[in-house]
Amino acid sequence: MAHTPSNGSTSTFVSRRRFVQTTGVAGALAFAGCLGGDDDDGNGGNGSSGNGDDNGGISGTIIATGSNTVAPITDRAGETFMDEYPDASVDVDPQGTGAGFSEFTQGNSDVQSASRMISEDEIDQAEANDVDYSYYEVGTDGLAVVKHADNDWLEEITLDELKTVWEYESDVQLWSDIRDEYPDEEIHLHARDSASGTFDYFTANIIGEVGLIRDDYSATSQTNEIMDAVANNEYAFGWGGLGYLRAIEDDQPIEAVPVESDVDGEFYYPTGDNIEDGLYSPLARPLYIFLSHYSLEDRPNLIGSFARFYFNGQRDFAPQEGFYASPPDVPQENHEELTEVLEDLGVEDRVEIQPDV
Amino acid sequence: MSTKIDDELFGSADLQWEKLKNKLFLGICFTASLFGVVVLVFLLADVAYEAGIGIVEFDINIGQFLTEGGRRDPEDAGFYAAIVASVWLMALTAVMAFVVGVGSAIYLEEYAPDTRITRLIEANLANLAGVPSVVYGLLVLAAVVNGFGTGSILLAGAIALALLIVPIIIVSTQEALRAVPDGLRNGSYATGATQWQTIRQVVLPAAIPGILTGTILALARAIGETAPLIMVGILFTARRPPGPLDSFSAMPSQIYVWAAQPQPHFHHLAALGIVVLLAFMLTMNAVAVFLRNRYEREL
Repeated sequence: MAHTPSNGSTSTFVSRRRFVQTTGVAGALAFAGCLGGDDDDGNGGNGSSGNGDDNGGISGTIIATGSNTVAPITDRAGETFMDEYPDASVDVDPQGTGAGFSEFTQGNSDVQSASRMISEDEIDQAEANDVDYSYYEVGTDGLAVVKHADNDWLEEITLDELKTVWEYESDVQLWSDIRDEYPDEEIHLHARDSASGTFDYFTANIIGEVGLIRDDYSATSQTNEIMDAVANNEYAFGWGGLGYLRAIEDDQPIEAVPVESDVDGEFYYPTGDNIEDGLYSPLARPLYIFLSHYSLEDRPNLIGSFARFYFNGQRDFAPQEGFYASPPDVPQENHEELTEVLEDLGVEDRVEIQPDV
Repeated sequence: MSTKIDDELFGSADLQWEKLKNKLFLGICFTASLFGVVVLVFLLADVAYEAGIGIVEFDINIGQFLTEGGRRDPEDAGFYAAIVASVWLMALTAVMAFVVGVGSAIYLEEYAPDTRITRLIEANLANLAGVPSVVYGLLVLAAVVNGFGTGSILLAGAIALALLIVPIIIVSTQEALRAVPDGLRNGSYATGATQWQTIRQVVLPAAIPGILTGTILALARAIGETAPLIMVGILFTARRPPGPLDSFSAMPSQIYVWAAQPQPHFHHLAALGIVVLLAFMLTMNAVAVFLRNRYEREL
């Protein structure tokens, strides 16, 4: 489901970035001079690179920001890419979708992993900074609702109950506030903070509005911490990316809770089959990467080849990291979309790697 | 308590109670001094335990850990690239901070007249030494990474760390220079030596053990700093050893990235990484202590 936003013309956005790039090269040269001309590929971001990929070799540094959830997939793609093209380096910084978009929309990153769609504010910011982009689906994630293994009362949860627990100014303080037969024990809530795409996805789809969540739960940017906290407390309750649950559920006392499906009203565990069949809904979601068109135009062979490489292998990369592959026709759609973007930018013949799916 | 003995005679000296207070106070002070040690022991024990589990249960091979770069598969992952990044950082930081720090200390101690401006500079240096490290990170992010447009390169990280420790080096160098008795300087001047000759051949040789000790201790602080590196650099898996103009992920950054991974195997790699980082730090501290003891002599 790739798509280019129709707004934002590709011809006018380069001027300011060009300036930054020129000063960047000058700065890098000045530093290189100080150090006696160390001339290896000192590409520390899109500021200091730009040369060196017209001659056919795939080399340079790709800065990838974004989702803590999607980062493992992009990092896996990057590592495989680096193994094959040793002159290229893919640096994946897993700081969260929101934090990553803040860098991406300022033109500080080439590839942005996202566990949700770009928001209105972020679109505005990208426009203000003349950053043009397109996005591509690279995998599917289940969002797991988790409880401690000794919790034998919570056998399933309805979407209404989830909303009641997590909505803004929720008055659920005890487990018995959810259902009367649950224990009169305080409920300890753990979830992601607002820098996260998982947070936005959950609040939008469960509560009904992005960010409209109670303010008295333990919020963290690290899904690990949620899983650890729930595995350590019988009365804890939380949610987070399924990959993080899969990594520890065999060794730690933590379990997924079956969630009501908005498809048929039955309760489903976040298993691969349920997610791929579309039954684990609304808590299964597509994962994306965004490509900066500035970076694509600046270093078409490096960024374009990486994107091609990513799409070629995406149905392997996602499962290797505990996620689910996107539907079979998605990689091809991604390639077609990228071809269109590259043609618009006039650089399609400078990308070495071709689609092979 | 002792108040049973003489409730009515409140105010008269109660020797037992006074002695007890004496002991109590000693006990409190002793506990306070022990607190830091106990916390340190717990910390080291916890890290060693986690790292030990990693080696025993997850079969982490220490040789591979020290010679391979980071990988997505924890079984293949190592710390080598991050170690190289940190060594580069330390080398560049040491050169920059030493030149600037020792230079300004010599000026302030040996040349500068005792004016209001000198005192203002010294007061500012003392304050700079207390500025949180993340602020230096932000400064370099704005001035170097975005200002000069260098991107998140290792050299920019070294500049941030150098800025962080320059005030510490200045202060410790000043102390070392002050410890050189004026008699030595005056003796040198009496032979007709210039100020440059005096500083180079008399003052600096006498002060260098103190200067080196201060510098190494400052570097030992810098090697574990994470906040400036988060600001200046990017946190990613360090797969290949970087050069000064490459993007980098140093030891603290790599530890952070591993700790954020879903798989527990990575968490034990992070623990082993902490052991390596601590080993670096303790070695540097040991070298500083050695230098101080070896070269400290009566002047």
